[in-house]
Amino acid sequence: MEITIRVNGQERTASVPPETTLLTMLRANLGLTGAKLGCDVGDCGACSVLVDGEPVNACLMLAAQAAGRDVLTIEGLGDFQELSPLQEMFELFSSFQCGFCAPGMIISAKALLDKTPNPTAAEVREALSGNLCRCTGYTKIIDAVMEMASRGAAESERA
Amino acid sequence: MRHRGRGIACMWYPIGFTVAANPSAAVVKVNEDGSATVLTGTVETGQGALTVLGQIAAEELGIAADDVHLVSGDTDATPMDTGAIASRTTYVTGNAIQMAAAEAKKILFEVAAPMLGVRPEQLEARDRRIQVIGFPQKNLPIGEVAHHAQVVMGRPPLGSASYNPPTVAMDPETGQGKPFSTYVYAAQVAEVEVDDETGEVEVLRIVAAHDCGTPINPTLVEGQVEGGISMGVGLALQEEILFDAEGRQINPNLTNYIMPTSLDMPEVEVDIVKNYDPTGPFGAKGVGEPTSVPTAAAIANAIYDAVGVRIHSLPATSEKVLMALREKRAMQKQIPAE
Amino acid sequence: MVIKVEDALRADRLTELKHPDEAAGVPAVARKEGRAPQIVPDANQQTPAVGQRVTRPDSRPHITGQTRYIDDLSFPNMLHMKILRSEHAHARIRAIDVSEAEKMPGVVATLTGREIPVNSFGPSYQDQPVLADEKVRHMGDGVVAVAAETEQLAQDALARIKVEYEPLPLVLDPLEAMNDDAPKIHGDSNIYATKAIRKGDVESALAEADLVMEGRFSTQMVEHVPMEPHATIAMWEPDGRLKILSSLGRITLGRADVARTLDMPVNRIQIVGTIVGGNFGGKNEITTEPVLALLARKTGRPVKGVFTRQDEFVSSTTRHPFIMDYRTGVRKDGRILARKVRIVADGGAYCSWSETTLGKGAILSVGPYRIDHLEVKAYAVYTNKTTCGAMRGFGAPQVCFGYESHMDDIARELGIDPLEIRLRNAFDEGSSSPTGQVLHSVAVKESLETVAHRVGWREQTS
Repeated sequence: MEITIRVNGQERTASVPPETTLLTMLRANLGLTGAKLGCDVGDCGACSVLVDGEPVNACLMLAAQAAGRDVLTIEGLGDFQELSPLQEMFELFSSFQCGFCAPGMIISAKALLDKTPNPTAAEVREALSGNLCRCTGYTKIIDAVMEMASRGAAESERA
Repeated sequence: MRHRGRGIACMWYPIGFTVAANPSAAVVKVNEDGSATVLTGTVETGQGALTVLGQIAAEELGIAADDVHLVSGDTDATPMDTGAIASRTTYVTGNAIQMAAAEAKKILFEVAAPMLGVRPEQLEARDRRIQVIGFPQKNLPIGEVAHHAQVVMGRPPLGSASYNPPTVAMDPETGQGKPFSTYVYAAQVAEVEVDDETGEVEVLRIVAAHDCGTPINPTLVEGQVEGGISMGVGLALQEEILFDAEGRQINPNLTNYIMPTSLDMPEVEVDIVKNYDPTGPFGAKGVGEPTSVPTAAAIANAIYDAVGVRIHSLPATSEKVLMALREKRAMQKQIPAE
Repeated sequence: MVIKVEDALRADRLTELKHPDEAAGVPAVARKEGRAPQIVPDANQQTPAVGQRVTRPDSRPHITGQTRYIDDLSFPNMLHMKILRSEHAHARIRAIDVSEAEKMPGVVATLTGREIPVNSFGPSYQDQPVLADEKVRHMGDGVVAVAAETEQLAQDALARIKVEYEPLPLVLDPLEAMNDDAPKIHGDSNIYATKAIRKGDVESALAEADLVMEGRFSTQMVEHVPMEPHATIAMWEPDGRLKILSSLGRITLGRADVARTLDMPVNRIQIVGTIVGGNFGGKNEITTEPVLALLARKTGRPVKGVFTRQDEFVSSTTRHPFIMDYRTGVRKDGRILARKVRIVADGGAYCSWSETTLGKGAILSVGPYRIDHLEVKAYAVYTNKTTCGAMRGFGAPQVCFGYESHMDDIARELGIDPLEIRLRNAFDEGSSSPTGQVLHSVAVKESLETVAHRVGWREQTS
């Protein structure tokens, strides 16, 4: 079936079997490999993307369910030349190690800060609890999000 | 009711095994502008090894981290390396890279010496310059020397080296000998809260002091300690692969195998203990594995401090702690006197 | 060890390096409350380079989602591989029938263990088949591999493969596995590695002790859980060389293993390791590389194999469960006179890194303490469970749980503070290790004092 999704501000269309997940369509059909496959059942959060501003596990959503909706992936934030303010903060804190969880973690952090620009530490931990990381102990990730929050810079974070 | 407790644990951990050959080789090329390219057979597995190895090469050549590029992880292009195992990369591969960089530097000194009118032994590489020891005003930019070496003298400055912590046979009967080059040391304190009605243990804070010799990059050392502690928390309280009677894993997924999330991670404070090991590159040893060693022991001791029960088998799940508390209470009941 | 003056001067400079916040007078507490580190301007541009808080060159690719892990790569005409794993923890394979699977549209090739030129590997002993051929020894053993046009087709084809097994008695408990009459998993004994350390006269010293404490401690099987599952792509280059892109953390020795299993010269094989998405010891051995190489040769197409999360749990290596018996003789003042340790490491179905893990665990099991009289005996034992191998700490977290729990029990029995008893026994510079090695750059006491200071240990002890 033919599916059209607005991905990172652009209309993207692909012809895929009906059982195709949003994650597969992004990675295999649209060449957006930022969202990762870590478990395929919604446990690890490595595939987190925003659909109409809400964080979802792209491995659990069918591509058809995202048809006509707005999807934001990590590729829709900053790039190598110009990081988004949130990404800059993660770089400043050296938050990541192997980096496999980073795209999903950053998307979840963005989802939180978009809605709650000044979260408490408990809210940050809660918002990131669906994104597993085995390298960092989350310490420098939480610190970066808390700093972002304290600077109240969430508003300037644009998709 | 929730009870607080604290527990301490210390540990030692070896760096650079010597019971079997453990070599790393490296090639360092100084380019014609004074930047450098390093070839290493190790692989970046997330710990930041390539960053640390680049800093070691840069230090030896007197240049900055950004002046060094590392080529790694290709058996066609890079020299032999025993691999990203056994917390050996900073120490063993680092030593090889420092030695290879020293070889390249020797060529730079031989080329610069006549340019500066001194002997090569009188030179040092610092702040992107080749300069006369004691007379830093007498210097040449490293790029100028490298360019001269390659383009005028026809001597591209490169070096290759390998390092193997000297292999030593152990006495098979008594196990006596020198199985490792060196060791690192650490201590951690865990502060926990234990609920005596549910057996639930919450780790509030871990304070960690780790010796790694010279911290080549303190941020990356802290990152290793924080990550190691999270694995230690999982080992202490949550994680366990379970089997049924047929030998089938019953929780082979992240729904039922519980590893620490952001909600489980305590506050962590890291101190890097001042130390210097003359056998390591610029005094460095290593830090990868030891970070996850003392955490579970510290947590188990903190549980005892909080509620007076000794956990003999990990993980200290709520069920296990609760059972131990019940047994303790049962044992405390006196048989009435006749 | 004599430290040269030059080294000492260098040491002085290097160890004086402080956290930039500390240098700027920012208290540690402020840092903990989410305050940004005051990064030295352009640490990456500073000399000297050592000690700088350099930003890693792979940081920006990571946070922009541009780092290319193996599963992010694909090649024209690439096939996907899935593996059928054993239905039994211990059984003889009677017959394998792949005909139904091979008839499925989209299935291009299958592979069984008998097609692998040298079907064994392992870092200490080559006791592990790449794909099980005669016998399966745990549920994670791969039996048949399928290459198909899509991952889903490869997965679906597994259900059409028929394997006939003759179940064998199994043993899951490592202590039972040590009994003479236990079912044997390889050869005629399940004990496949033994380590011994002996120093001094442990029995006499125990007899002289004021107190002898005993304790049994045990640990569980743990999975590495790298967020990136094992992933490999194999392809044959136009010049007949084999190219493997792999999440392996140990490419030089991985290449040797691939060359051995495929019976090929080393120089005909290239292994490229891109950034590994988490290793922790679990990606130090080849897994499916030879299988993918052979399927790629059979089909003439690149083949990718990515572990499912379940593959990761059941077929990759894990942390060894240890059973540890401690017996320690101490004086009233807390000084340890003698220690006996017995360790049984449950190795699972294959040796993997057990032999070396056991060696490291045995040495470390004594603890960072000055003990003149000691005896350690350690055994690695096969069971019909998931293979245990290298995992961050390599036996050390297990034995540390043992010796440090035991240490607190001793301290309590003697009425000595846990910090004090450790300081009274800890290694000093020049102490002799359990294997008689003279130790240098020792920092146990400094580490203990540092954490004690930070938490106010002594202030809180009455």
